[in-house]
Amino acid sequence: MIVDCHALAGKGLAWAGPEAPADYELAPLLERGAQAGIGRHCVMPARQAGSYDTANREIARHVERHPDRLTGFAAHSPQREAGRLRQLLTEEVRSMGLGAVRSDGHPTRELLDTAAELRIPVIYYPARPSGQGPARWYYMIAEAYPGVNFILPHLGEYRSLVWWAHMEAIDLAKRYPNVYLDTSGVGSLKYLELAVRDLPAEKLLFGTCAPELDPRIERQAVRLLKLPREAEDKVLGGNILRLIGSR
Amino acid sequence: MDRREFLALAGAVAGRATPLAGRTPIVDCHAHAGTSPGLKEPWTTVADPAAILRRAAEAGIDRTIIFPINHDTFEEANREIAAICRRYPGKFIGYAKHDPVNEKGRIRDLLTCEVRELGLRGLKLHVHPGPEVLDVVAELGIPIIYHPGRVAQFDAIARDYPTVDLILAHLGSDLSTNWREHVAAIEMAQRYSNVYLDTGAVVLTRYIEQAVRELGPGKIIFGSDEPEVDCRLEIYKVRVLGLPAEQESLILGGNMLRLLAKFKGGAA
Repeated sequence: MIVDCHALAGKGLAWAGPEAPADYELAPLLERGAQAGIGRHCVMPARQAGSYDTANREIARHVERHPDRLTGFAAHSPQREAGRLRQLLTEEVRSMGLGAVRSDGHPTRELLDTAAELRIPVIYYPARPSGQGPARWYYMIAEAYPGVNFILPHLGEYRSLVWWAHMEAIDLAKRYPNVYLDTSGVGSLKYLELAVRDLPAEKLLFGTCAPELDPRIERQAVRLLKLPREAEDKVLGGNILRLIGSR
Repeated sequence: MDRREFLALAGAVAGRATPLAGRTPIVDCHAHAGTSPGLKEPWTTVADPAAILRRAAEAGIDRTIIFPINHDTFEEANREIAAICRRYPGKFIGYAKHDPVNEKGRIRDLLTCEVRELGLRGLKLHVHPGPEVLDVVAELGIPIIYHPGRVAQFDAIARDYPTVDLILAHLGSDLSTNWREHVAAIEMAQRYSNVYLDTGAVVLTRYIEQAVRELGPGKIIFGSDEPEVDCRLEIYKVRVLGLPAEQESLILGGNMLRLLAKFKGGAA
């Protein structure tokens, strides 16, 4: 089964900023996802201005309605939700069944200790000054928390705006056994080809960033990589299922 | 280029003796080729035409329009484009590229020579053109593909040069860096009959959908921005729209060939 490790659902702030409120509806995600042959989407909340408490509950409700198509991931702001995060995330994982956490902001010890206890992966796309890659934001956390698996979305650079950020991301995944890269929203396919060449298939996870992006196009990007069957099975679902366990 | 020459081109592009035999050729309107001395970015280093052709063949593209990667001045780079076109007959259509600031005062002579003697058939711009460029382009009857800093820069030239066909690259925003520029580009193409949008390197493909919905297929031109962006994935972004075959063929080649057929610069 093809599993999309990176999809969005629910109300929040669009990537463009607070002037463009978003509601990531499920219908286009599920419809186009089915057209792409994707069996399951891991959905996480859209960006929030404050706490993710409500948004994570909305994700859990979506999963309850579509248990055969969706797996829920939580999101939290380690800074805005400091002091409450352990309790919230523990409940979201143990009671609501969410299977990973996206860190909206640089991960704190509170978040990483909790993720380590819960044995869930941390999805982290560092916000950084224009023109910089993700490496320096990952060195300390990947080193200090070898027991936590990190997923760096977009091969390290959404839309490939900074080409060397992809190179940094590939180098990070080579250096740290606990850093994985997702394939979503890469504008320049040649960096995905580079990742496939330089990394074992275990390190790449298929993602779509749908419905912001079209899951059919994201699926086609991986198809064009022409991976051997076994490697493609890992990228298209095996790897994320291994990272999130039986959820 | 008169109608007879245009049909011959279309036939050659399709690889058939009889032109347009049941299928409009597929043309990628936006690719870079050649070498540059910069060696700092992919687009100041090299763009290998053989690699572009391998991907184009896989994508079913009949002919690719190529122009230089980044340089300070383009006389030598444009000669390289012409040489690449000669090296791969029937595969590429060459455009010149110029910097209207760095090459001020020389562009009329250079471009006329590049079109009439080297056989180049359009002009790529990254820097805003003045009358020196636009007057000669109008005389030669060649299209301009322009990647402006801001879409708003198109307004004056589209208004003042209504006979010059202007292709606004990347639907107004390379790699969808700024979605508002996609919206501005769609509005620009609505406002001016001589403004067209190319689809290359658009990541937020909802704006390709919006452009086709609001403008119709006659104003949209398939392009890839090879070799930085892969033509096999870029063509899929058009095919996945699921348009009727006639509309899809306009986007994938018909529109571009119609603009090229306006050529009046004389034979190479």
